[in-house]
Amino acid sequence: MADARDAEDALLLQAGDHGGLVGAWYPVVLQRCLVRAGAAGWDVAHDVVERLLAELRRGKRYPVPYRVVVHMVTSWTLKEHFQGRRTDLPLPEGWDPADAADDLAGFERAFDLERLFEELPDGDRAVCRLRYLDGLEIEEIAARLRKTRNAVDQALHRAHGRLRELARDL
Amino acid sequence: MTSDAAVRELFDEWAARLARGESPDPLAYLERAGPARDELARLMDAYLQAAPRPEPGAETLELARAWAAGASPLAELRARRGLRRADVVEAIVGGLGLAPEQAGAVRRYYHRLEAGLLDPAGLSRPLLDLLARTLEVAAGTILAWRARPLAAGPAFRTAEDRTMVKREALDDQEDDEEVRNLFLSGR
Repeated sequence: MADARDAEDALLLQAGDHGGLVGAWYPVVLQRCLVRAGAAGWDVAHDVVERLLAELRRGKRYPVPYRVVVHMVTSWTLKEHFQGRRTDLPLPEGWDPADAADDLAGFERAFDLERLFEELPDGDRAVCRLRYLDGLEIEEIAARLRKTRNAVDQALHRAHGRLRELARDL
Repeated sequence: MTSDAAVRELFDEWAARLARGESPDPLAYLERAGPARDELARLMDAYLQAAPRPEPGAETLELARAWAAGASPLAELRARRGLRRADVVEAIVGGLGLAPEQAGAVRRYYHRLEAGLLDPAGLSRPLLDLLARTLEVAAGTILAWRARPLAAGPAFRTAEDRTMVKREALDDQEDDEEVRNLFLSGR
């Protein structure tokens, strides 16, 4: 399923706006690196964006949406960090996200919040979109969907369970 | 509250803030999770990989473009605010209660910071906060877009670059100790 930002990424890529593309993804990369590596995440995130930029400058093009590349390079760099290897070096020659992931299509299928929500009951889906994609407060969601606060909480509880299943595969 | 409920509450709050376009500090949330830290981290990582990336602000994009082009993001920020380097030095000296004769040392260190020869991670908290106020950005922005010392080279700082940064710091051992601590003591 195409992510809402895939088209924007493709346009930035096409325009050769490498700084803009990497900049658009940096907040996500930084959050991931801080979550996984603690305070060292600042350095790891910096190395991730250096790697992404270097690959773009080498003219690398990918058969997958750029978000997949970003997450693969981030995961790869974090893995090297935990192995005690240097992350401030370019990716190995010939490194390719298609080689790094056993199942790229699987990644796209699994790591898609919209798809995850689709597996929830109808009533829960709208709650989750408003909370986790739009960031509305619980009370706002309850008012907008004419639900009780408790019903909203229960829907989020079920979504949390699904996300937890996804997280188990990480 | 059970550990599961606490993790769910922390995750929910963090994810909603992120969805609103805020930049919540994930380390603060992990800290609050206590022994359930790893469980929360896995959930947060899964969410980050599955959610659409947020729409970047215009300033974030401009800074990233300056960074990618090899320009100093700090200098870019300063220029966008219409500030001269001397203005920032003055703000540091005045804002942190330094003596006027310490301005020279501040100028040297700040120049190195802008040029990417000092790691912003070494900035003391008071200095980082003061720079954030002066440049009107989040402290995280200063930490994030550090200048690239080898702008014209292949995208990475090398082991030699890192040595250079350390050597720059060592050369300052005879410099003003108070100023050195502001720029190199870390938070």
